[in-house]
Amino acid sequence: MGQITRKRDRLEVIHDFLNIIQENRNSIKRTPLLRKTNLSSQSFEEYFDELLAKDFIREIRDNKGKRHITLTDKGFRFLGKYKMIHGFIDEFEL
Amino acid sequence: MPPPPFFISPDFGIELAYTILILLFCFLVYFKTREIYELTKHKGIQYFRYAFLFFGLAYASRLFLYIMIAGNIFTFEPFAHPRPILPVSNLVMAYFSTIAILYLTYSTIWKKISIEHFLTLSNIIAIFVAVVAFVSMSPIIVSLTQLLLLAVTIIISIKAYKKDKKRTHMRALYFLIAIFWLISLFVIDEPRKFLPLEVKVTLQIISIIVFLAIYYRVTKWVK
Repeated sequence: MGQITRKRDRLEVIHDFLNIIQENRNSIKRTPLLRKTNLSSQSFEEYFDELLAKDFIREIRDNKGKRHITLTDKGFRFLGKYKMIHGFIDEFEL
Repeated sequence: MPPPPFFISPDFGIELAYTILILLFCFLVYFKTREIYELTKHKGIQYFRYAFLFFGLAYASRLFLYIMIAGNIFTFEPFAHPRPILPVSNLVMAYFSTIAILYLTYSTIWKKISIEHFLTLSNIIAIFVAVVAFVSMSPIIVSLTQLLLLAVTIIISIKAYKKDKKRTHMRALYFLIAIFWLISLFVIDEPRKFLPLEVKVTLQIISIIVFLAIYYRVTKWVK
C-alpha cells in the first residue's frame, strides 16, 4: 500500500492503519508503520494506544527481541467488515 | 347493548398489533447493529442504536398508557380509576420518546455540530418534558412540546446540511418516524375523537412501513 496523503476520517485512519499491517504479512515494526500511516507522531501514538486497548492489534517480540505489530482476530474482523461498516454509515447518514 | 370488554375490542387489538410490530422493528435494529458498534465505537451508530432502543421503550410505555386511558373509556373495570398510575406512565413515556427524538437527530448532525456533554443536555431536556408530562397528565401537551422540540432540531439539521449535496433521503424517514410518534401521542387521549379509526389505522400502517423500510436498509448492510 502506498503512502496515505488525503485527509481521512477516524474510521478510515483505523482501516488504513490495520490494512498496512495486513499487507506487510501481518508483521511490521513501529517506525515503518508510523511512516506509512502518514500520521503525526502524536496522532500515531493515540491511534496505536486505542487499537491496542480495543484489542485490534498486539505487539509481539521475535527471537532477537525486536518488537513487531500484528493484527488480532478482532483486527482482521474489522478489516473484513470495513466496507459494510462504511456503507452502513453512509446510508444512514451517521 | 353494552360495549365489548376492552381487551376484546378491535381498538385494543389494533393497538396491540401495532405496538408489537414497531417494538419488533426497533429492537431488531438495535440488536442487529450491535456488532458494528462494538467494532467501531462510532458515535453516529451509537446514537442511532439508542434512538431505536428508546423508541421501542416509548412505544411499549405508550401501549401501557393507552390501556390505562382507553380501558377506562371503554368501561374496562379493573382500570376504572387509573389516575394514580397515569402521571407516572405519562412521565416514563415522555422521557423515552424525547430521548429517542434527540438521539435520532443528533446521530445525523454530530459530525457537523459538536455539542459538548450531549448526553447530559439531552437528559435534561427529556427530564423537563417528562416533568411537563407528569404535571399536565396530558399526552397532547407532551405531543405539542415534542413538536416544538422536533421543529428546532429540524431547523438545526437543515442548517447543518445546507451545503451538503450528498443525500440518501434517510433524514426524511427519520422525520416521518418522529411525526408518526407525535400523531400517535396526539390521538391516544380520547381514541376516535381526533381521528376516525380508518384514518388512524392508515397512519399506523404507513408508520409500520417506514419502520420496515429502515429495518430493511439495516439488514441490507448488516446480515
